Amino acid sequence: MSTPPSPSAPGLRTTPRTPRLPGPRTTGLAVLTATTLVLSACAAGPGTGPDADPEQAALTGAAGAGPVQGGVIEYGHLQEPNCIFGGWIQENFTARQVLDNLVSHTEDGSVVPWIATGWEVSEDGRAWTLRLREDVTFTDGTALDAEAVAYNFDYWLDGGNGTAAAHLGGFYDHSEVLDEHTVRIHLSAPFSPFLSTISQSYFGLQSPTALQTRTDEENCTEPIGSGPFTVKDWKRGEYIEFERNDDYDWAPQNARHQGPAHVAGIRWNIVPDNTSRYGSLLSGEMDAIGEVPAVNIAQARQDYDFTQYITPGRPVVMSLNTQRGIFTDQQVRQALSLATDREANVASAFLGTVPFEPSGYLSQTTPDYDEEAAAEYPFDLHRANELLDRAGWTGRDPDGTRTKDGRRLQALVVYGLNSIITPDGNTVIQNFQEQARAAGFDLVLRPGTPSEFFGGAFSTPESYDAQVGYWTSPHAGILNINYRPSTEEAPNGANTTFLDQARVFETIQSALQAPTPEEVTERFSQAQHELSELAPAIGLYTQTNTLAVGGDVTGLWLDPAQGGPVFHDAHFTSQDARDASGTLTPDTADTPDTADSADAPAESED
Amino acid sequence: MSTTPLTPAPAGRVSVPAGPASPTPGHGTADRTARTSVSRRPVPVTVWVAGAFAVLLVIASFAPGLLATADPRAIDLDAPLAPPGVDHWFGTDQSGRDLYSRIVHGTGSSLLIGLGATGVGVGLAVVLGSWAALGGRWADAIIGRGIEVLFAFPILLLAMVFIAVYGPSVQTLILAVGLGIAPGYARMVRAQVMSVRRSGYVQAARALGHHPARILTRHVLPNALRPLLAVLTLGIGQSIVWASGLAFLGFGVAPPSPEWGALLEAGRPYITAAWWLEIIPGLAVLATALTATVLGRHVESTLEGDRS
Amino acid sequence: MSLSTRHPGPSPSTPPPVHPASASVSHPAAARDRPPRGNRPSPAAVALVVGHKALGAVFVVWAAATLTFLIQALLPGDRATLLLNQQTGQVQERTPEELAPVNEAFGFDEPLIVQYLDFLGGLLRGDLGISYTLYQPVTTVIGDQIAPTVVLTFTALAIAWALAVVLLVLTARRTPWVSRIFSGLESAAAALPQYWLGIILLVVFALWLGIFPVVSGSGAAGLVLPALTLGIPLAGFLAQVMRTEFERTLDAPFVLTARARGMSDGGVRLRHVLRHSLLPGLSLTGWAVGAQFSAAVIAENVFARPGLGRVLVTAVNGRDLPVVCGVVMLVAVIYVITNLVVDTAYILVDPRLKEAA
Repeated sequence: MSTPPSPSAPGLRTTPRTPRLPGPRTTGLAVLTATTLVLSACAAGPGTGPDADPEQAALTGAAGAGPVQGGVIEYGHLQEPNCIFGGWIQENFTARQVLDNLVSHTEDGSVVPWIATGWEVSEDGRAWTLRLREDVTFTDGTALDAEAVAYNFDYWLDGGNGTAAAHLGGFYDHSEVLDEHTVRIHLSAPFSPFLSTISQSYFGLQSPTALQTRTDEENCTEPIGSGPFTVKDWKRGEYIEFERNDDYDWAPQNARHQGPAHVAGIRWNIVPDNTSRYGSLLSGEMDAIGEVPAVNIAQARQDYDFTQYITPGRPVVMSLNTQRGIFTDQQVRQALSLATDREANVASAFLGTVPFEPSGYLSQTTPDYDEEAAAEYPFDLHRANELLDRAGWTGRDPDGTRTKDGRRLQALVVYGLNSIITPDGNTVIQNFQEQARAAGFDLVLRPGTPSEFFGGAFSTPESYDAQVGYWTSPHAGILNINYRPSTEEAPNGANTTFLDQARVFETIQSALQAPTPEEVTERFSQAQHELSELAPAIGLYTQTNTLAVGGDVTGLWLDPAQGGPVFHDAHFTSQDARDASGTLTPDTADTPDTADSADAPAESED
Repeated sequence: MSTTPLTPAPAGRVSVPAGPASPTPGHGTADRTARTSVSRRPVPVTVWVAGAFAVLLVIASFAPGLLATADPRAIDLDAPLAPPGVDHWFGTDQSGRDLYSRIVHGTGSSLLIGLGATGVGVGLAVVLGSWAALGGRWADAIIGRGIEVLFAFPILLLAMVFIAVYGPSVQTLILAVGLGIAPGYARMVRAQVMSVRRSGYVQAARALGHHPARILTRHVLPNALRPLLAVLTLGIGQSIVWASGLAFLGFGVAPPSPEWGALLEAGRPYITAAWWLEIIPGLAVLATALTATVLGRHVESTLEGDRS
Repeated sequence: MSLSTRHPGPSPSTPPPVHPASASVSHPAAARDRPPRGNRPSPAAVALVVGHKALGAVFVVWAAATLTFLIQALLPGDRATLLLNQQTGQVQERTPEELAPVNEAFGFDEPLIVQYLDFLGGLLRGDLGISYTLYQPVTTVIGDQIAPTVVLTFTALAIAWALAVVLLVLTARRTPWVSRIFSGLESAAAALPQYWLGIILLVVFALWLGIFPVVSGSGAAGLVLPALTLGIPLAGFLAQVMRTEFERTLDAPFVLTARARGMSDGGVRLRHVLRHSLLPGLSLTGWAVGAQFSAAVIAENVFARPGLGRVLVTAVNGRDLPVVCGVVMLVAVIYVITNLVVDTAYILVDPRLKEAA
């Protein structure tokens, strides 16, 4: 393994570990702090290095023998993706198993080498030169070289991945192949979070040959990458099976080990019902589950290896329509920000398991988050009332709603229930609605169906007064996506507050183009203060990903870029547990795409 | 989606109309007078219990404040998911709202869905069913096929259309469920009207030269629909169950409405942590459906008793 | 309910003109338990009726597909926007430049009539189109999911029948309180919200007692709870329908005759009475099959089973028109086939029903 020095040591452990309790399910107790981005206790420390964690070694059974090899991990997941790779967060999670990225994000916010071994940015910040590993092949046998990377950049931006395009669109210009293993990405303007951006699995590298020669269906269900697993089988509505890529030897620098994955495969079960999913962990049917329901988190912390990941980017916020309706008045927006006790609300609705997010713009785990700006709207009913009085909302209807010139202080709040907002989030919104009544607001809640929401029924300034949603992103550049004013030439549908403020936009642009990290932070802070003053959005809670792992398996961690589970380092804790695990579906008439594993070495360790 | 409870209800009960549908001597003269006589048999205890519960439901619908004084919207962030106890008879929900109060205050909209959907369904069914039975061969063929199509059609799609147009509300559910149950009733109405049409008294009225509209409204419909009365009371409970099935699929009434289907759906994630949120609203739905069934059967047997 | 005041069944001279599939069958008794009266239908007549019904069946499938197509195409909200937003998980407006390639790829910019004719043409060739979101042919999507749903539906039906028949034979017209209690239980079962029942079964039998798996998958052990979830309410309905008929038949003259000949009570119930009461249950089954397919989505969701119900809901939410049309047509086909079988059986059993058919 030849990787240049990384800016940070991988695998920083941020959670204290308590003595192991007896019982087969109890492998460790992860105690979490609300404001730090946290990695699983069991996931910490490279298992193979000289400084291997002694506890880690103990877990593997025999000291020095290395982790148990083989077995199939049963993982229970909430939502089924449409494709393995795509612009939806669910597709980001599955893509992480199959595709590799150029760089990897660590839990302290830095970026470390993966397929790119090193990089440099030009003086003007508009050309990124990336040096690639020379030994990487896709699972169809073709080489992952500079040509392939250049092809992928064009593919992502040209309709291959809508989210990738949302991040880099307007900045990406073209790619230049310097030599077989060096590629230069030309930008039309400096973009400071470039590396952080391409660490997301929306920027997973696929075989250009596969993209060009196979059908859409094949590229959707079995994308060809260079990752630690390949897609073996997908029974829609039931599970996706991933099989180990035995040739894998190019894990990111922050991986816990190099070489192929320890387990023979993963069965990624789709279990949409919360009770069933947590129940399947209790019954031992699943080795691990994602999206632990809030009501079960306290118990999961006790009995399982529990990890919570607070996604960076835009937290779950209420975007206020600044173009039409009562929220065109800045004082009304500020009043609503002050009117409710959001902290108590979130603590109650999530039973204390999910952190409150005071900021309407960035979540607390986002680099360059400004705590001071976030805290500008504490619960202050008195001030809220003052602001509303000053804004002229002085009349009162019999139900207590304020009025002004015969108009009620009423707002339509729309949100995609169960598709975007969880049932717990629905509770937060209802508590918010009830509390806002005290200040004289009449909020009308309108949960929408996915068909309505994604069909654009609530996308125009005419269709809502407030909208609740989030957008994960590993860096503060999300502000550019959410607050770039919409223009004739370049409409910005992601600007859900319809805020049109040139000054804020310029501040955000200057942050993106700032030459030093210090200046980037300073400009983003300024942008958050400016936004906070305008109050176009109200922070509610952080979007979190959770993972609970049973005692038979260890080594799972959550990808710091997006919060998806990473199975490359996972392994069974004992031979018995491994032997008790299931197997992947036996091969039937196999497609040529997966036949490459035939010449791979057999599982001699077993 | 609970298509099953609904559709079978009408069909299942068609064996009830089958009795009166077979004209017996004297049936024709019974015509509209039979209804007014009173049952002479003692009323079973179950009917008394059901009657008492029905009275409670009516009070809860029109004056919920008499039964539950707590504000069904008032939240208590310090007491989410409190178990049933002295302060909160049925416990509290995830916002700390009093579940007892919410169930009482949700009675009105839930019953409205039950009654409204049954009304819409039966109204449509009477029009379509009579038309099919009386409108001649072509009308019968076309409407008959139309009913078949509706039977084979997922109500989910209809619900989506209405929600897209009207938003998720009690009215939307009434329309969606009403349309969903209409084909079952329409079949029954058609069968009833056809049988009554051929009965002696209708033939007699025709022979006397009465106007067809008069024959329809004075003779055919009253006699054809009377056996459906019992079926209707069953349908009310089924419509509530059905509406809760739509809530499960995300087509329920918007929060913070305490409509029972919405309560059931909201309580589902808490079944292991706060069973009362799921079990108690379910029991309310069940008790209401049972009450309607018991009363409906009593009405039915009373009518039949009078006739024999 | 007490049936002592009912009349003992219709006289054979008054054929009830009720549509066969609507379960009014207090009469086939006459056709089956009396000597044949020589009016069996000729094969040609049966063929005519069956042919007529088959044509009607084709119409129903076509109409269901057309209706689905129109609803999906005309619902508010732009389909290309929906696809783009789904691909990114966002809910925003899209620019014409973004939408153009999607419209082009799926033909959304064609006039509706052209889209519809394309769709019909595809149907005639047996081509249901390609899913907008899964990029798979609809026939593949449905083919992969149909087996679990069919298995679940018919297992639920079998459970419902078994429960209903056993309850009926054992409890109908016993001492008043036994009859009343069980008749009440049937009503209660029929009034159960399915997902309420499902979640309770899941918690009790899978989570607490651990008898069945929590995640059902498509395995055999995982079939029990989902099938019970659908079967128990249906059993309530079946038993209700059949109890009425059962108790009526217990009073029929031929039953009295059988008893007079010295037949035991159990023998009478099983060999004579049950047979008659099966008929209304049978016709209820005819369209319970269609309805169970829609109801399956609840069991599939709660118990994490694959199947068409889940496919339908996902496709409806994503406005994946080809998949929605495909599933609706399949349900319609299954519905009409089941009813064809039931109707044909009825005509064969009771020739008088030809008139009503």
